[in-house]
Amino acid sequence: MATQTPPRSDAPPKAPAGTHPSADDPHVLLENEYDFYEPIPPYPPRTEREAEFYTLGDGEMFLNMGPQHPSTHGVLRVVLKLDGERVVDIDPVLGYLHRGVEKLVENADYHQTISQVDPLEYISSLFCEWAPVTAYEKLLDVEVPRRAEYIRVLSGELNRIASHALFMGWFALDLGGLTPILWSFIERDEIVEMLAALTGQRMLFNYFRIGGVNGDLNHEFLSRLGDWMSRAVGQIDANIALLNENEIFVRRASGLGVIDSETAMRFCMTGANLRATGVPFDLRRTHPYSIYPELEFDIPTRTEGDSLARYLLRMEEVKQSIRIIDQCLDKMPDGPIMAKLPRLLRPRPGRAWAAVEGPRGVYGAYAISDGTDQPFRLKIHDPSFIHLQAVGALLPGNLLADTMAIMASLDPVMGGVDK
Amino acid sequence: MTALARTWDRLTLPGRALFILVPLLALLTIGLIVVIGLFGGQILDILIFNLPIVRFVFAATVLLLLAPPIAFVIIYMEMKIIALMNLRVGPDRVGPWGTLLSTVHGLKVLMKEDFTPSRADPVVFTWAPVVVFSTMALSALVIPFAPGLFAQDLNLGLLYFFAIGGLTVVGLLMGGWASFNKYSLLGGLRSAAQIVSYEIPLTLSVVGLVLLAGTMSLNQIVQQQGTSGWFTDWFAVRQPLGFLIFAIAATAEANRTPFDLTEADSEIVAGFATEYSGMRFGFFFFAEYIGVFIISALTTVLFLGGWNAPFPFPHLSWVVDPGSLGIGLLFIVAIVPVLGTLLFAAPFYLFRSKTRWWVALIIGFVLFNVAVGGLFGLWAYINFDWVAGLFWFLGKTFTLVFVFVWMRGTLPRVRIDQLMGFAWKWLLPASLLNLFVTALAVLAATALRGGAA
Amino acid sequence: MDRALARRLEARFETVLHGPAKGRHDQTEVRIGAGDVQDVLRALHDEPEFHFTMLADLAGVDTGTEMQVVYHLWSSTTSDWLRVIVEGLSRDDPRIPSVTFLWQGSEWMERETYDMFGITFEGNRDLRRIYMPPDYTSFPLRKDFYLPDDAARSPGAGVRHVERTHSPVDAAPGVVRRTSA
Repeated sequence: MATQTPPRSDAPPKAPAGTHPSADDPHVLLENEYDFYEPIPPYPPRTEREAEFYTLGDGEMFLNMGPQHPSTHGVLRVVLKLDGERVVDIDPVLGYLHRGVEKLVENADYHQTISQVDPLEYISSLFCEWAPVTAYEKLLDVEVPRRAEYIRVLSGELNRIASHALFMGWFALDLGGLTPILWSFIERDEIVEMLAALTGQRMLFNYFRIGGVNGDLNHEFLSRLGDWMSRAVGQIDANIALLNENEIFVRRASGLGVIDSETAMRFCMTGANLRATGVPFDLRRTHPYSIYPELEFDIPTRTEGDSLARYLLRMEEVKQSIRIIDQCLDKMPDGPIMAKLPRLLRPRPGRAWAAVEGPRGVYGAYAISDGTDQPFRLKIHDPSFIHLQAVGALLPGNLLADTMAIMASLDPVMGGVDK
Repeated sequence: MTALARTWDRLTLPGRALFILVPLLALLTIGLIVVIGLFGGQILDILIFNLPIVRFVFAATVLLLLAPPIAFVIIYMEMKIIALMNLRVGPDRVGPWGTLLSTVHGLKVLMKEDFTPSRADPVVFTWAPVVVFSTMALSALVIPFAPGLFAQDLNLGLLYFFAIGGLTVVGLLMGGWASFNKYSLLGGLRSAAQIVSYEIPLTLSVVGLVLLAGTMSLNQIVQQQGTSGWFTDWFAVRQPLGFLIFAIAATAEANRTPFDLTEADSEIVAGFATEYSGMRFGFFFFAEYIGVFIISALTTVLFLGGWNAPFPFPHLSWVVDPGSLGIGLLFIVAIVPVLGTLLFAAPFYLFRSKTRWWVALIIGFVLFNVAVGGLFGLWAYINFDWVAGLFWFLGKTFTLVFVFVWMRGTLPRVRIDQLMGFAWKWLLPASLLNLFVTALAVLAATALRGGAA
Repeated sequence: MDRALARRLEARFETVLHGPAKGRHDQTEVRIGAGDVQDVLRALHDEPEFHFTMLADLAGVDTGTEMQVVYHLWSSTTSDWLRVIVEGLSRDDPRIPSVTFLWQGSEWMERETYDMFGITFEGNRDLRRIYMPPDYTSFPLRKDFYLPDDAARSPGAGVRHVERTHSPVDAAPGVVRRTSA
């Protein structure tokens, strides 16, 4: 190793060599010799894939789309290997938003975990609460009252529409259109205000409880909901028409990031990304939970598997969600909104898995209880994590401009990816 | 001296700047007056002897001084119009309806930290924005704003414009390369490829026009479009395909949406301008908006009749001869403002109960001034052809600027390969087709005319 | 609980199952050992009577005495979720074969389990840390992970510095010695 330069006056103090597990790590020593930042190839490469990625071919270069970038969907670092403008390979680096939720949950009550899992997929918080709550209910063998189930479905579908509205805006923004995101935020703002009237919060709702929901439907929520429903379909159609009939948008998005159903199943993709490849897998129909068997709605499916198909599919899902909301309001039963449970919950020792169909895919929770009042283990399965993996298979061969477009079309939320 | 030192210590940076500049300016002014007083006649002789150079310097200075205000106006237009399209409010607080916001942005940009990245090539890095801005400003020298109101009337005005405008690529490449940043490099190369590819349809689409007009002088092109006074003389009507191609290629030349991938901030941060901050970024920013204005101006001049009105106005004459009024002038000057103020104030005071009487008078006075200004403008329009020409020219140019802003608010951007494919596979053949058809038509016309004569 | 599925599983895999197939609500659970992972999961994936083509989750569990890896699978042949618990991994050096040959999407899930527990998945081409920094020395979700103790050992303690915005005052002009190719 070359001699180390003396520490510079504005550098933080370094640990003396040899006293630190990383002090002899060539990665760290190299870093001290540079005076600029670069995605340093790890020497020696730790895995086979790393060695393959960090070997530059002829005329290739690394480009670091770092954690701070105007359009990575949250803090995501993507190291791209480029050949001019063409992407040869990518290596996503995660962990910038890792909050250790699974560890935190082990030190909390069962009730406290609900507010801790909210920020995982912060755009569709209710689904993040729904899966663990259902898993706990399976551990406690408690049955949720029907009215609570209907309210859960109603608020969940509203959250789905809000999430898809955000997706539409974000996707268009990554393609360069400045207007659709602001128009779709009008949608999202109205829905979020509605949910604030219902749950008390605009984004991280903390609304579902083990055995039911926190508060009943109130007048403000219902009046806002009725008001919005009367305008909803027209407004959504206007928003969709802004993009669907735009030649540039259609040409950019069609044929982009094509996945076929085999690849999608191999990558364990779920949700709209899988349905756009032709596999009609929607947990609400294939493995029904809650009161979805009683509701009438379709599962839109497309076969092309490109970004345009994913976008159109999500827009159709929004329309189906409106149908579901209609039926929920129609059939809303009376009754309690919470099951009778003791305050301090001690479920039986055991294991339970529950999965719900979130806007991004199958959102699962695996809860292990050891008989005490704190969960022993809560494992969250997040669809964005899986979809981001597939990006590595989709990107090579595409141009740099498509990187963000493909990632946006898969709709990842970094909170869920990083847990 | 200690008093001076103490004062100097107490001053802030702007204070210190003024402390030095104001006495310096005073000395300079006095010196200038002395020099003019002593050598005035000789200086005037030299200037008159070198009139073309003087005229050029004066015109260039005026253009450079006018560039920031125009850029500010266009920046404000863009922010406000895109906001309204996005169903937002846009700039609202700074100045009436937020109009002073772009000026404030300009001042802010002056006050930002101005650093050079440690590994950037300092000379090239510093000169890139200069090159971009100056080529943009220089290319505006040949544009005729109104009859008689142009900087230079070159015979090869159009060629000069495209030649100087093409130098912008050099500046963008300089900025992209010297920044020592892969994002900048990608942005610079993308812009170079884009501008160079779109230069060809741009220039070819205009050749048909040059054939019809018979001249490359922009002033004469505009004059030719005014022969009958009707808009059917405009080259947009006589060369529709050329107009369309030129409009698309001009959008790409100006790096505007949907062709703004050089600064696509959802992919490559800010493209070639990633490492720039402070006034250097301000230069790039200015250059872009001046470019929008200049390209719109060129489109107006070439295709939309320049400073000609769309239809021939009946020739009015409105001569105001204050001398003939005699004593009546005094009465008018004394009484009309008062009457006007009262007239405009009356509706506010009578029909709006909240308005106090002095507020109504102020509103009335302001409105009276606006009305008089409008009348004065009308008189100037009728009597001076350059006022009329400037009015039409600016109206058409800013309409085209509005169209540019409209496109930015609505359209997503194309990809680099789609962009290049479009230029080489569609625009280039289309412009060649336009050229051939025009040439054939001209030949046929001269043959018929020659045959008949 | 799908009794037919439980019977089919016990019939097919009776030699490798650690006990009967249990279940509750809509889940069926089987337990196997680490050596049988690849065979069992391949059988579950490929054989048409099982057809468990969707891997819903891959979780690591530290029970305090041993480590486990839990797979959740879904099939169109049954209305239950299948949970395959691979138990008996030691806490000192847990090793288990990887299932990336069946589902490429399990690569990152295995990376996450390695990062959080230290379980080595043999056959995973890319087994490096995914959430924690690459030179982190502990495995956070283990039951013997103690945070303050780990912070003192953490690499963030002053060794690494982030990017600069200017050249330092006493910097030597632009000599960079790269000791790597």
